[in-house]
Amino acid sequence: MNNLKFIAGILVFGSLWGFSECIIGSSLSETGLPTGAIMTGFFAITFLVISRMTYHRPGMQFGMGIVAGSLRLFNPFVGCHLCSALSIMAEGAIFEIIWYNISFDFRELKPITMQISMGIISAYFVYVGGYIVTQILTPIISGSGFFVGNLIAFMPNILASGLITALIGAVILPTVLLTRGLDLRLKDKLYYPTTIGISAFCWIFVVGYWFMLA
Amino acid sequence: MKTGKEKFIPIIAMIVLLIGIFSTIYVNAYQIEKDTIKINGQDFTFDQLLSNGVEQTIETDEGEKTGIALNDIIIYSGVDCTQCHEYTIKAKDGYQQTVNWDILKTGILTDYKRVFFPDTAHSFWVRDVIEIEVK
Repeated sequence: MNNLKFIAGILVFGSLWGFSECIIGSSLSETGLPTGAIMTGFFAITFLVISRMTYHRPGMQFGMGIVAGSLRLFNPFVGCHLCSALSIMAEGAIFEIIWYNISFDFRELKPITMQISMGIISAYFVYVGGYIVTQILTPIISGSGFFVGNLIAFMPNILASGLITALIGAVILPTVLLTRGLDLRLKDKLYYPTTIGISAFCWIFVVGYWFMLA
Repeated sequence: MKTGKEKFIPIIAMIVLLIGIFSTIYVNAYQIEKDTIKINGQDFTFDQLLSNGVEQTIETDEGEKTGIALNDIIIYSGVDCTQCHEYTIKAKDGYQQTVNWDILKTGILTDYKRVFFPDTAHSFWVRDVIEIEVK
Protein backbone atom coordinates (compact mmCIF):
# COMPACT_ATOMS: atom_id res chain seq x y z
CA MET A 1 0.00 0.00 0.00
CA ASN A 2 1.42 3.36 -0.98
CA ASN A 3 1.75 6.27 1.45
CA LEU A 4 -1.02 8.31 -0.15
CA LYS A 5 -3.51 5.48 0.38
CA PHE A 6 -2.30 5.12 3.95
CA ILE A 7 -2.79 8.84 4.65
CA ALA A 8 -6.26 8.71 3.09
CA GLY A 9 -7.02 5.78 5.42
CA ILE A 10 -5.88 7.75 8.47
CA LEU A 11 -8.02 10.67 7.35
CA VAL A 12 -11.20 8.65 6.82
CA PHE A 13 -10.98 6.56 9.99
CA GLY A 14 -9.89 9.55 12.09
CA SER A 15 -12.75 11.63 10.67
CA LEU A 16 -15.30 8.89 11.38
CA TRP A 17 -14.01 8.58 14.93
CA GLY A 18 -14.09 12.36 15.47
CA PHE A 19 -17.54 12.61 13.86
CA SER A 20 -18.96 9.92 16.15
CA GLU A 21 -17.44 11.67 19.20
CA CYS A 22 -19.00 14.99 18.17
CA ILE A 23 -22.44 13.83 17.05
CA ILE A 24 -23.20 10.63 18.97
CA GLY A 25 -21.15 11.66 22.00
CA SER A 26 -23.06 14.90 22.39
CA SER A 27 -26.43 13.11 22.15
CA LEU A 28 -25.33 10.56 24.74
CA SER A 29 -24.12 13.21 27.18
CA GLU A 30 -27.63 14.66 27.33
CA THR A 31 -28.96 11.32 28.58
CA GLY A 32 -26.68 11.41 31.65
CA LEU A 33 -24.88 8.21 30.65
CA PRO A 34 -21.08 7.97 31.12
CA THR A 35 -20.42 9.31 27.63
CA GLY A 36 -16.63 9.24 27.61
CA ALA A 37 -16.45 5.65 28.81
CA ILE A 38 -19.04 4.46 26.28
CA MET A 39 -17.54 6.40 23.37
CA THR A 40 -14.06 5.00 24.00
CA GLY A 41 -15.16 1.44 24.75
CA PHE A 42 -17.45 1.23 21.75
CA PHE A 43 -16.53 3.67 18.98
CA ALA A 44 -12.83 4.33 19.59
CA ILE A 45 -11.95 0.66 20.04
CA THR A 46 -14.05 -0.33 17.00
CA PHE A 47 -12.41 2.20 14.67
CA LEU A 48 -8.91 1.59 16.04
CA VAL A 49 -9.12 -2.20 15.68
CA ILE A 50 -10.79 -2.15 12.24
CA SER A 51 -8.14 0.24 10.94
CA ARG A 52 -5.40 -2.00 12.28
CA MET A 53 -7.00 -5.08 10.68
CA THR A 54 -7.40 -3.30 7.36
CA TYR A 55 -4.13 -1.38 6.95
CA HIS A 56 -1.54 -3.44 8.89
CA ARG A 57 0.69 -0.39 9.35
CA PRO A 58 2.21 1.11 12.53
CA GLY A 59 1.48 4.77 13.20
CA MET A 60 -2.02 4.67 11.77
CA GLN A 61 -3.90 4.79 15.08
CA PHE A 62 -1.73 7.65 16.32
CA GLY A 63 -2.58 9.58 13.15
CA MET A 64 -6.27 8.78 13.56
CA GLY A 65 -6.16 10.24 17.09
CA ILE A 66 -4.67 13.48 15.74
CA VAL A 67 -7.37 13.73 13.03
CA ALA A 68 -10.25 12.84 15.39
CA GLY A 69 -8.97 15.19 18.11
CA SER A 70 -8.61 18.02 15.60
CA LEU A 71 -12.19 17.51 14.47
CA ARG A 72 -13.32 17.48 18.10
CA LEU A 73 -11.79 20.94 18.54
CA PHE A 74 -14.36 22.26 16.08
CA ASN A 75 -17.27 20.47 17.73
CA PRO A 76 -20.13 22.93 18.18
CA PHE A 77 -22.42 20.56 20.07
CA VAL A 78 -20.75 20.06 23.45
CA GLY A 79 -18.25 22.22 25.28
CA CYS A 80 -14.84 21.41 26.72
CA HIS A 81 -13.42 21.06 23.25
CA LEU A 82 -9.83 21.26 24.45
CA CYS A 83 -10.05 18.53 27.11
CA SER A 84 -11.83 16.10 24.81
CA ALA A 85 -9.52 16.81 21.88
CA LEU A 86 -6.42 16.20 24.00
CA SER A 87 -7.94 13.04 25.38
CA ILE A 88 -8.73 11.63 21.92
CA MET A 89 -5.24 12.42 20.61
CA ALA A 90 -3.73 10.65 23.63
CA GLU A 91 -6.06 7.66 23.13
CA GLY A 92 -4.73 7.04 19.62
CA ALA A 93 -1.13 7.15 20.86
CA ILE A 94 -1.83 4.88 23.85
CA PHE A 95 -3.57 2.30 21.64
CA GLU A 96 -0.51 2.32 19.39
CA ILE A 97 1.78 1.64 22.38
CA ILE A 98 -0.41 -1.17 23.78
CA TRP A 99 -0.61 -2.93 20.41
CA TYR A 100 3.07 -2.43 19.54
CA ASN A 101 3.93 -6.07 20.25
CA ILE A 102 0.77 -7.59 18.75
CA SER A 103 1.32 -8.83 15.21
CA PHE A 104 -0.66 -7.27 12.37
CA ASP A 105 -2.29 -10.61 11.43
CA PHE A 106 -3.55 -10.89 15.05
CA ARG A 107 -2.32 -14.51 15.33
CA GLU A 108 -1.89 -14.12 19.12
CA LEU A 109 -5.58 -13.29 19.39
CA LYS A 110 -7.01 -16.61 18.18
CA PRO A 111 -8.13 -17.83 21.64
CA ILE A 112 -11.27 -16.03 22.79
CA THR A 113 -9.68 -15.42 26.22
CA MET A 114 -6.92 -13.44 24.50
CA GLN A 115 -9.47 -11.42 22.53
CA ILE A 116 -11.48 -10.60 25.65
CA SER A 117 -8.33 -9.82 27.63
CA MET A 118 -6.95 -7.49 24.96
CA GLY A 119 -10.37 -5.84 24.75
CA ILE A 120 -10.30 -5.16 28.50
CA ILE A 121 -6.68 -3.97 28.53
CA SER A 122 -6.98 -1.79 25.41
CA ALA A 123 -10.25 -0.13 26.37
CA TYR A 124 -9.24 0.47 29.99
CA PHE A 125 -5.78 1.89 29.37
CA VAL A 126 -6.85 3.91 26.35
CA TYR A 127 -9.66 5.54 28.34
CA VAL A 128 -7.85 5.98 31.66
CA GLY A 129 -4.66 7.10 29.91
CA GLY A 130 -6.55 9.67 27.83
CA TYR A 131 -8.32 10.89 30.96
CA ILE A 132 -5.03 11.35 32.86
CA VAL A 133 -3.32 13.09 29.92
CA THR A 134 -6.15 15.59 29.60
CA GLN A 135 -6.15 16.24 33.37
CA ILE A 136 -2.47 17.14 33.11
CA LEU A 137 -2.39 19.02 29.81
CA THR A 138 -5.64 20.99 29.95
CA PRO A 139 -4.62 23.13 32.97
CA ILE A 140 -1.14 23.60 31.48
CA ILE A 141 -2.43 24.70 28.07
CA SER A 142 -5.14 26.82 29.71
CA GLY A 143 -2.38 28.69 31.54
CA SER A 144 -3.48 28.01 35.11
CA GLY A 145 -0.80 25.37 35.73
CA PHE A 146 -0.90 21.71 36.67
CA PHE A 147 -1.11 20.69 40.33
CA VAL A 148 -0.23 17.05 40.94
CA GLY A 149 -2.32 16.99 44.15
CA ASN A 150 -5.48 17.61 42.09
CA LEU A 151 -4.74 14.59 39.92
CA ILE A 152 -3.89 12.31 42.86
CA ALA A 153 -7.09 13.30 44.71
CA PHE A 154 -9.20 12.37 41.67
CA MET A 155 -7.22 9.26 40.68
CA PRO A 156 -9.59 6.71 42.33
CA ASN A 157 -12.46 8.21 40.34
CA ILE A 158 -10.51 8.02 37.07
CA LEU A 159 -9.53 4.39 37.74
CA ALA A 160 -13.15 3.55 38.61
CA SER A 161 -14.58 5.23 35.51
CA GLY A 162 -12.51 2.94 33.27
CA LEU A 163 -14.35 -0.17 34.51
CA ILE A 164 -17.35 0.36 32.22
CA THR A 165 -15.01 0.99 29.28
CA ALA A 166 -13.10 -2.21 30.04
CA LEU A 167 -16.30 -4.28 30.13
CA ILE A 168 -17.47 -2.78 26.82
CA GLY A 169 -14.03 -3.47 25.33
CA ALA A 170 -14.28 -7.11 26.45
CA VAL A 171 -17.33 -7.51 24.22
CA ILE A 172 -16.44 -5.15 21.38
CA LEU A 173 -12.98 -6.44 20.49
CA PRO A 174 -14.02 -10.09 19.93
CA THR A 175 -17.06 -8.83 18.00
CA VAL A 176 -14.94 -6.64 15.72
CA LEU A 177 -12.49 -9.50 15.19
CA LEU A 178 -15.36 -11.62 13.85
CA THR A 179 -15.31 -9.39 10.77
CA ARG A 180 -11.72 -10.41 9.97
CA GLY A 181 -12.95 -12.67 7.19
CA LEU A 182 -14.70 -9.84 5.38
CA ASP A 183 -12.80 -8.11 2.61
CA LEU A 184 -13.28 -4.42 3.39
CA ARG A 185 -10.86 -3.21 0.72
CA LEU A 186 -12.17 -0.98 -2.02
CA LYS A 187 -11.20 -1.15 -5.67
CA ASP A 188 -8.51 1.38 -6.57
CA LYS A 189 -10.74 3.64 -8.63
CA LEU A 190 -13.30 3.83 -5.80
CA TYR A 191 -10.79 4.19 -2.95
CA TYR A 192 -9.94 7.88 -3.13
CA PRO A 193 -13.43 9.19 -4.00
CA THR A 194 -14.92 7.15 -1.14
CA THR A 195 -12.35 7.97 1.54
CA ILE A 196 -12.15 11.66 0.61
CA GLY A 197 -15.94 11.88 0.27
CA ILE A 198 -16.60 10.37 3.72
CA SER A 199 -13.88 12.50 5.34
CA ALA A 200 -15.17 15.66 3.66
CA PHE A 201 -18.72 14.92 4.82
CA CYS A 202 -17.58 14.52 8.45
CA TRP A 203 -15.56 17.75 8.42
CA ILE A 204 -18.09 19.84 6.50
CA PHE A 205 -20.90 18.71 8.80
CA VAL A 206 -19.03 19.48 12.04
CA VAL A 207 -17.01 22.54 10.99
CA GLY A 208 -19.89 23.98 8.94
CA TYR A 209 -22.20 23.79 11.91
CA TRP A 210 -19.54 25.40 14.09
CA PHE A 211 -19.33 28.38 11.73
CA MET A 212 -23.10 28.64 11.62
CA LEU A 213 -23.23 28.90 15.42
CA ALA A 214 -20.23 31.23 15.69
CA MET B 1 1.61 -24.80 24.54
CA LYS B 2 0.83 -21.29 25.70
CA THR B 3 3.19 -18.47 24.73
CA GLY B 4 4.32 -15.74 27.15
CA LYS B 5 1.69 -13.35 25.83
CA GLU B 6 -1.08 -15.93 26.27
CA LYS B 7 -0.12 -16.31 29.92
CA PHE B 8 0.39 -12.70 30.87
CA ILE B 9 -2.28 -10.82 28.93
CA PRO B 10 -5.25 -12.55 30.70
CA ILE B 11 -3.53 -11.94 34.06
CA ILE B 12 -3.07 -8.25 33.26
CA ALA B 13 -6.73 -8.07 32.17
CA MET B 14 -7.84 -9.56 35.49
CA ILE B 15 -5.67 -7.10 37.42
CA VAL B 16 -7.19 -4.24 35.40
CA LEU B 17 -10.71 -5.40 36.26
CA LEU B 18 -9.81 -5.70 39.95
CA ILE B 19 -8.36 -2.16 39.93
CA GLY B 20 -11.59 -0.91 38.36
CA ILE B 21 -13.81 -2.80 40.82
CA PHE B 22 -11.90 -1.74 43.97
CA SER B 23 -11.68 1.87 42.77
CA THR B 24 -15.45 1.89 42.21
CA ILE B 25 -16.06 0.54 45.72
CA TYR B 26 -13.65 3.11 47.20
CA VAL B 27 -15.20 6.03 45.30
CA ASN B 28 -18.74 5.10 46.38
CA ALA B 29 -17.70 4.52 49.99
CA TYR B 30 -15.87 7.84 50.36
CA GLN B 31 -18.22 10.23 48.61
CA ILE B 32 -18.93 13.18 50.89
CA GLU B 33 -22.54 14.36 51.20
CA LYS B 34 -23.04 17.74 52.88
CA ASP B 35 -25.36 20.72 52.59
CA THR B 36 -22.74 23.34 53.36
CA ILE B 37 -19.68 24.55 51.48
CA LYS B 38 -16.42 24.97 53.36
CA ILE B 39 -14.63 28.16 52.35
CA ASN B 40 -11.35 29.20 53.92
CA GLY B 41 -11.98 26.69 56.71
CA GLN B 42 -15.53 27.81 57.57
CA ASP B 43 -18.82 26.15 56.61
CA PHE B 44 -21.49 28.22 54.84
CA THR B 45 -24.91 27.41 53.45
CA PHE B 46 -25.74 28.65 49.98
CA ASP B 47 -28.35 31.04 51.43
CA GLN B 48 -25.74 32.57 53.73
CA LEU B 49 -23.45 33.17 50.79
CA LEU B 50 -26.31 34.55 48.70
CA SER B 51 -27.35 37.02 51.39
CA ASN B 52 -23.79 38.37 51.59
CA GLY B 53 -22.82 38.30 47.94
CA VAL B 54 -23.90 39.76 44.65
CA GLU B 55 -25.76 37.60 42.18
CA GLN B 56 -24.09 37.86 38.83
CA THR B 57 -24.69 36.54 35.32
CA ILE B 58 -21.74 35.57 33.17
CA GLU B 59 -21.57 34.60 29.51
CA THR B 60 -19.98 31.21 28.78
CA ASP B 61 -19.72 29.17 25.61
CA GLU B 62 -22.70 27.19 26.95
CA GLY B 63 -24.83 30.31 27.38
CA GLU B 64 -25.55 32.57 30.33
CA LYS B 65 -24.99 31.27 33.87
CA THR B 66 -26.18 33.00 37.03
CA GLY B 67 -24.80 32.61 40.54
CA ILE B 68 -22.96 34.33 43.38
CA ALA B 69 -19.72 36.04 42.36
CA LEU B 70 -16.79 34.01 43.68
CA ASN B 71 -14.81 37.15 44.55
CA ASP B 72 -17.61 38.18 46.94
CA ILE B 73 -17.60 34.73 48.51
CA ILE B 74 -13.86 34.77 49.11
CA ILE B 75 -13.88 38.28 50.57
CA TYR B 76 -16.88 37.37 52.77
CA SER B 77 -14.99 34.31 54.08
CA GLY B 78 -12.34 36.61 55.50
CA VAL B 79 -9.43 36.36 53.06
CA ASP B 80 -7.46 39.62 53.27
CA CYS B 81 -4.94 39.49 50.47
CA THR B 82 -6.96 37.83 47.75
CA GLN B 83 -4.19 38.03 45.13
CA CYS B 84 -1.68 36.36 47.47
CA HIS B 85 -3.35 32.93 47.35
CA GLU B 86 -4.33 30.10 45.09
CA TYR B 87 -7.75 28.54 45.41
CA THR B 88 -8.53 24.84 45.18
CA ILE B 89 -12.17 24.12 44.36
CA LYS B 90 -13.13 20.63 45.55
CA ALA B 91 -16.07 18.45 44.53
CA LYS B 92 -17.79 15.75 46.58
CA ASP B 93 -16.37 13.00 44.33
CA GLY B 94 -12.75 14.06 44.93
CA TYR B 95 -12.39 16.12 41.75
CA GLN B 96 -10.56 19.39 42.33
CA GLN B 97 -9.03 22.23 40.36
CA THR B 98 -6.70 24.98 41.49
CA VAL B 99 -6.94 28.51 40.10
CA ASN B 100 -5.34 31.85 40.88
CA TRP B 101 -7.21 34.99 41.86
CA ASP B 102 -7.28 36.37 38.31
CA ILE B 103 -9.33 33.37 37.20
CA LEU B 104 -11.32 32.94 40.41
CA LYS B 105 -12.61 36.51 40.49
CA THR B 106 -14.30 36.01 37.10
CA GLY B 107 -16.32 33.00 38.29
CA ILE B 108 -19.66 32.32 39.93
CA LEU B 109 -21.14 29.64 42.19
CA THR B 110 -24.65 28.53 41.20
CA ASP B 111 -27.44 27.35 43.49
CA TYR B 112 -26.76 23.78 42.33
CA LYS B 113 -23.21 24.12 43.67
CA ARG B 114 -21.35 24.30 40.38
CA VAL B 115 -18.75 26.91 39.57
CA PHE B 116 -18.50 28.48 36.12
CA PHE B 117 -15.86 30.69 34.59
CA PRO B 118 -16.35 32.64 31.37
CA ASP B 119 -12.95 32.00 29.79
CA THR B 120 -11.60 28.65 30.96
CA ALA B 121 -11.73 25.05 29.76
CA HIS B 122 -14.77 23.25 31.11
CA SER B 123 -12.58 21.07 33.31
CA PHE B 124 -12.50 24.07 35.69
CA TRP B 125 -16.29 24.09 35.97
CA VAL B 126 -16.31 21.93 39.10
CA ARG B 127 -19.66 20.28 39.95
CA ASP B 128 -21.05 19.54 43.42
CA VAL B 129 -18.60 21.86 45.17
CA ILE B 130 -18.03 21.07 48.86
CA GLU B 131 -14.99 23.22 49.57
CA ILE B 132 -12.91 26.13 48.33
CA GLU B 133 -9.52 25.82 49.98
CA VAL B 134 -7.40 28.96 50.25
CA LYS B 135 -3.70 28.08 49.89
